[in-house]
Amino acid sequence: MNKKAGPMFYVFLALFVFLVMFPFLWVLASSIKPVAELFGDRAFIPFTDNMTLENYESVFVNYPFLKYLWNSLVVSTITTVYAVLVASFAAYAIARLKFKGKTFILGLVLSVSMFPQIATISPIYIVLKNLGLTNSYLGLIIPYTTFTLPLSIWLLVTFFRKIPFDLEEAAKMDGASLMQTYWRVILPLAIPGIFTTAILVFISAWNEFLFALTINTDDAYKTVPVGIAMFEGQFTIPWGEVTAATVIVTVPLVIMVLAFQRKIVSGLTSGAVKE
Amino acid sequence: MKPNLMPNHPKPINAKTKTKNKKKLSERSLGYFLIAPAMILIFVIAIWPVFQSFYYSMFDLRLNNPGKSEAHTSYSVNLQTYLDNYPFLMNTLDEEIGEASGKTKEELEAIQADLEKIDSELQKDSELKEKYKQVDEKLMVMKPVSEDLAVAELDKDVALDLEKTVDETTDRVRELKGELKNPDDVIGLSSSLSDSVITPNFIGLKHYKENLSDGRMWKAISNTTVFTVISVFIELVIGLAIAILINKAFFGRGLVRATILIPWAIPTAVSAFMWKYLYDGQNGIVAKAFESIGLFDRMTDLLTSSNGAMFSVIFADVWKTTPYMALLLLAGLQTIPSSLYEAAAIDGASKWKQFLKITLPLLKSSILVALLFRTLDAFRVFDLIYVLTGGGPANSTETISILAYKVMFAQTNFGEGSALSVIVFICVAIISMIYIKFLGRDLLNDK
Repeated sequence: MNKKAGPMFYVFLALFVFLVMFPFLWVLASSIKPVAELFGDRAFIPFTDNMTLENYESVFVNYPFLKYLWNSLVVSTITTVYAVLVASFAAYAIARLKFKGKTFILGLVLSVSMFPQIATISPIYIVLKNLGLTNSYLGLIIPYTTFTLPLSIWLLVTFFRKIPFDLEEAAKMDGASLMQTYWRVILPLAIPGIFTTAILVFISAWNEFLFALTINTDDAYKTVPVGIAMFEGQFTIPWGEVTAATVIVTVPLVIMVLAFQRKIVSGLTSGAVKE
Repeated sequence: MKPNLMPNHPKPINAKTKTKNKKKLSERSLGYFLIAPAMILIFVIAIWPVFQSFYYSMFDLRLNNPGKSEAHTSYSVNLQTYLDNYPFLMNTLDEEIGEASGKTKEELEAIQADLEKIDSELQKDSELKEKYKQVDEKLMVMKPVSEDLAVAELDKDVALDLEKTVDETTDRVRELKGELKNPDDVIGLSSSLSDSVITPNFIGLKHYKENLSDGRMWKAISNTTVFTVISVFIELVIGLAIAILINKAFFGRGLVRATILIPWAIPTAVSAFMWKYLYDGQNGIVAKAFESIGLFDRMTDLLTSSNGAMFSVIFADVWKTTPYMALLLLAGLQTIPSSLYEAAAIDGASKWKQFLKITLPLLKSSILVALLFRTLDAFRVFDLIYVLTGGGPANSTETISILAYKVMFAQTNFGEGSALSVIVFICVAIISMIYIKFLGRDLLNDK
């Protein structure tokens, strides 16, 4: 951290940022071109004299894109709230209480988070189909537990462990019960960690593809990633709409990332770095 | 849950140890109580399905085939299907007998007699007879029949007899086709009747045997391995280089961090579609760029040739996950005290030597953790390839997850698909075991 950055460094940095961002910039530039300029020679010119928003309009008029966004929002929000709630109890117990088998449980949680989704999909699909839950919000919220719950527990355990044990001891001394200690002492201190976990869980639920693709095949219940991936035109892929939809999905994410970048980074690296 | 903590009540001194024990006990039971919901959910929604997948993989399970849409271990008959067809088949045969004459008539009567014989055979079982009656009554008044009622277990011999008789009926009627008035009706009814017999579709490890000797499966495994090894290796090297370079104070850290996070945060399926646009053989800017620097002969090679498609998929994955790798490694780098480098510099160690002797050893566990997560992610890759190439061209980018998906949902062959998904699971388990052996118990340590 004490090394000084020279001018060459900034050149490198600018190049790196440009390379990473280039696909987005190009897609952004394409999304405001008229459809005719997406093909042929004009396809390789990033600027247009006939800037238009017709692609954006078409995304909402010709495709149930608003519905996709709504579905994704509902599914991801409910999944996040319930996964983080259930996980917070478990994580608190694992991080703060003394009982046998903790290492085993943590190992189990970690192994489950490594399960390939494809290995669980056939029974989950058949059960949901028999219960009549395919093409419903619940049909995605239930299977999303397979990855959101282990992820939440894993992250929350690291956050809970960082809270000083002295506080808990002090609360005990003052006669607080374990549950009181949890609600009054631990939880308020854990809020930032819980929030970080919620952001990461939300993103993982928002981005999920395989379950969404197989379980909710009806347009009325499709989520954004599947909805966009299934954009089809009459003869070719409607690149105008695809680029516009990509921009619409990316912009909120960019805002979210800018707003919460510190939290996201602390969440992403918390489980992975040994201090 | 009873937090037995009552410090406000004065306690006799000799009860002190007892209270302490009680306190411990209550803490332990509270602990189990708190983890119970999460454990139950994980067990039901994640662990049970894996076992169930394995169970399914030993059956010939096909969702588009009524007799094979579930795992059956014994012979049974679907009485609803049976009674939906048997009486009508008999009636139709009656009509045909009325019209026919001579040999045809005799043959039809013989067919009918055989069917009647098997029907009475079926009703010999008292339990089955009871169900038979109930289903019949319900069908008469067009009431729905529950699955439990409709399916009745059968003796193996009776089941095989029934199947044989019905199949023979179909064949015999086919032979008489020219002589009959409505041969298609009879054939249709009798082949629907044969759907009522449910034979066990347990096939043991046959799916595994077939898959392990199937070139397509091995091709998929090798595609997956190629994709995983190359992309993770490139991501590690570039990610480490970036992490080392940006591990210093500079202006615009926030911007760089946000830049790093965006590719990670965007849904893979969406970024894959974005790359599909950039790789497009006619209008894709990246394809054009690769062509002009001579990486590919023609723009279209990128998505329509085997090597081009694999390259495209790996390139898109590297773009999406290298920044994330850099982020993980940067966090590890920041835990290395700078005094170590200062000391090494004073001793005259070169930058390269510092990297080899300080950075790499101290970064080892960060690197291994990052590699573990990335390798597993790469090995189960689905979204990216599904959207970008769909496994093509000519299965050249078909990974094992894609193959399992296609077998399950395109061919509706859930038995074989489950076998493939169990294979994916075993591969992933082996990979994690190897890594965890290197990592030791570090990963799960309490502190």
